Amino acid sequence: MADAMSCEEATDLLALDAVGALEVPDREVMERHIATCATCRHAAAQYADLASLLPAALEVVPPPARLRRSLMAQVYAEATAAPRQPWWRRLVDVIPANRAFTAVGAAAVVAAIALGIWGAAGRNSPSAPVAYTVSGTTATGTLAVEPDRTQAVLTVKGLQPLPASKVYEVWLIPSEGSPKGVSFLSPGPGGGAWTAVVQGSLDGYKSIAATVEPAGGSPTPSNTEVLSGQLGES
Amino acid sequence: MHLSDDDIARSISAHSPEGIEALYDRYGGLAHTVALRILSDRGAAEDVVQESFLAVWRRGSTFQPGRGSLRSWICTIVRNRAIDRLRGDRHRTRLDTPIEGESIEPAVTDPWAAVALELNGEEVRKALGELPAEQRQTIELAYYGGYSQSEIAAAMEVPLGTVKGRVRIALDKLRASLADHVETPWQTQ
Repeated sequence: MADAMSCEEATDLLALDAVGALEVPDREVMERHIATCATCRHAAAQYADLASLLPAALEVVPPPARLRRSLMAQVYAEATAAPRQPWWRRLVDVIPANRAFTAVGAAAVVAAIALGIWGAAGRNSPSAPVAYTVSGTTATGTLAVEPDRTQAVLTVKGLQPLPASKVYEVWLIPSEGSPKGVSFLSPGPGGGAWTAVVQGSLDGYKSIAATVEPAGGSPTPSNTEVLSGQLGES
Repeated sequence: MHLSDDDIARSISAHSPEGIEALYDRYGGLAHTVALRILSDRGAAEDVVQESFLAVWRRGSTFQPGRGSLRSWICTIVRNRAIDRLRGDRHRTRLDTPIEGESIEPAVTDPWAAVALELNGEEVRKALGELPAEQRQTIELAYYGGYSQSEIAAAMEVPLGTVKGRVRIALDKLRASLADHVETPWQTQ
């Protein structure tokens, strides 16, 4: 689709976006349009508000009281506790600077340097393929980013089989904020490489990691990292 | 004391725990309903709701009043995380626990929260019910199923242009029915 679009064309995309169906190439065109079109920015807000009314048609299922207690206990604990860096933040902060690190960290430093250059080269040419190395105590692999940067495929060898009650969950770790669980690694036939598809752009994320989590995944990563890799500067 | 949505947004921006508490009390039920509708799994829905509100707490408010209401903002956050979880689970067996018939009355102490939770449900149901089936199905596949435009086109075996048209027409019909309840004033284009 051409970059320039009419408000009429943009409106179709705004409606799709409001219900979450807009795909990345069209989203980029739409974002460029509404950046310069106040009318369509307003229409976007209108459609978003409309979409947020859709759940009103559902029968309300209130959350259990324990959810509120759990949430607010964590919020107040974090509000009053001295700042303590979680493992994933330490990973983000330490890897680029600290050479006195573990074997895993050292491998990640090498990968960060090499792939930072590679990733930077890829950003200069949006259609160029980009790949990042990931590694852990027993695992090595690659995160291959599709040329259109809308998804990436993580391929890993050397991971141990897991019981049915556990999964390898893949996390993207942003420059600011909490890790985002984005996918699960699936074993290949015959115990070969594990793979996971990571949907969406990697922009804004500094590193990728995988942890062992209960089946179904966790809201935040546990301290069971099995691999990690740097994604270059965000 | 009643806090407006603007008050809550400002409180969140100031990194106040009370802001998160107020946001949860007003929209936690809506958030949970959205997550449960998408995931059909109580445990996963609770995880997503907690994860979403904690993300708001830890990151601070990214709410932009010009881009919609506080309600649509938190709905979008929760929906996106639930869809992410759903997509991650699609290669495994999904627990299709029916959620109909399990509704219980919410234990709401804030009357404004009650308004948010019960937001004209009958009117919205009526408006949705008046849509042609293919338009309603298109909206539901997108909003609750996490299907993209291409995936909807493939699932419904229609051209992509038809999907775009159906979504826009459906939302425009809903707009006509529900304009009084949308917080961002309608603007004639």
